[in-house]
Amino acid sequence: MKSFGYIFRLTFVLLVITVVVAGLLGFVNYLTEDKIAENTAKKAQEAMQSVLPAENYEEISLTKEHTDSGISEAFRCESGYVVRVSVNGFGGAVDMMVGIDQACAVTGISVVSHTETASLGANCTRADWQAQFIGADGELSVDKDGGSIDSLTGATVTSRAVIAGVNAALTFVKEVQG
Amino acid sequence: MNFKKQFREGLLTNNPVLAQLLGMCSTMAITTTLFNGLGMGVSVTLILICSNVVISLLRKIIPDKIRIAAYIVVIAGFVTMVDLILKAYLPALSESLGVFIPLIVVNCIILGRAEAYASKNGVLASAADGLTQGIGYTVALVVMCIIRELLGSGTFGAGVLGADGIRIIDAQYPALLIILPVGGFLTLACLIAFSQWLNRKLAEKEEKK
Repeated sequence: MKSFGYIFRLTFVLLVITVVVAGLLGFVNYLTEDKIAENTAKKAQEAMQSVLPAENYEEISLTKEHTDSGISEAFRCESGYVVRVSVNGFGGAVDMMVGIDQACAVTGISVVSHTETASLGANCTRADWQAQFIGADGELSVDKDGGSIDSLTGATVTSRAVIAGVNAALTFVKEVQG
Repeated sequence: MNFKKQFREGLLTNNPVLAQLLGMCSTMAITTTLFNGLGMGVSVTLILICSNVVISLLRKIIPDKIRIAAYIVVIAGFVTMVDLILKAYLPALSESLGVFIPLIVVNCIILGRAEAYASKNGVLASAADGLTQGIGYTVALVVMCIIRELLGSGTFGAGVLGADGIRIIDAQYPALLIILPVGGFLTLACLIAFSQWLNRKLAEKEEKK
């Protein structure tokens, strides 16, 4: 039964290593968990404040139709709505916040996270580019498609994605207002 | 153990990026700003030292047949720890390196050094190997970052020296190509050619002595 002993030893060594590593990971996770959750929440909060400042945000419950259109969260506040929407960009999901006032005009947008190409699509986080969305209230499209939004150089796909997100948010708010 | 020789190997003659051509994926993808390059380099160096030390310590306990599985578990453990710590304390860096931190697990430099060095040498020598190879990787990344950032975005030190760094070339002139993967290959090729030339020069100089 020598071979059995050998197989047992292989399994045992690997098991011990795995258990020790798992234990250490659990410990590090325990140490960093709160801090990571805090960072994520803070970032979302900052993004909401930057698109539509308010003291209190009241969450609006969403239907499946809404989540299918990319909306992941929506909030109501005194001066309007903040909609969090996730759209497909060039290199993955573009997660952003859109602030919309009571008159259904965009008050600001903020990209929370994205994986677009550096120096091209990643420019969608630039404030000077985002500024052209402020005040928009109708269906938007890029200049290439005959619309009013200047697309980012070399990043038409990203530009279209951001616009699609803003459009989805506008449609949602119009629906909520009735 | 010869630290000076190891240092030279890590930096030039056996540089992980320029001579062993390992870890190409992260090298191409993240060398667009100095901030990314430094962050990635330091993270890899830390993980490399830790995994080299642990694997060297365990080299007599781990049976040969399951060594790769054992190495991967150890490396994945360290990578995940670094990933969690970065997310908690350096969220900006974690965001900009994105998926490339978790992908260090399959970065061949770390597994390569575990297999080629740490599994055959003592703890101190393995730690020194991790440090020198890590420095070699970091230097290669940082040089690529500086070149690509300067030619591709026209700035220096974005993320390290202020959010946009120091603008050297006016925003409308830089060659966007250099920031894209194509530019990564071009820059790397030039850098490898240069390091080969330097290696030969240094070898000739030593022969003359």
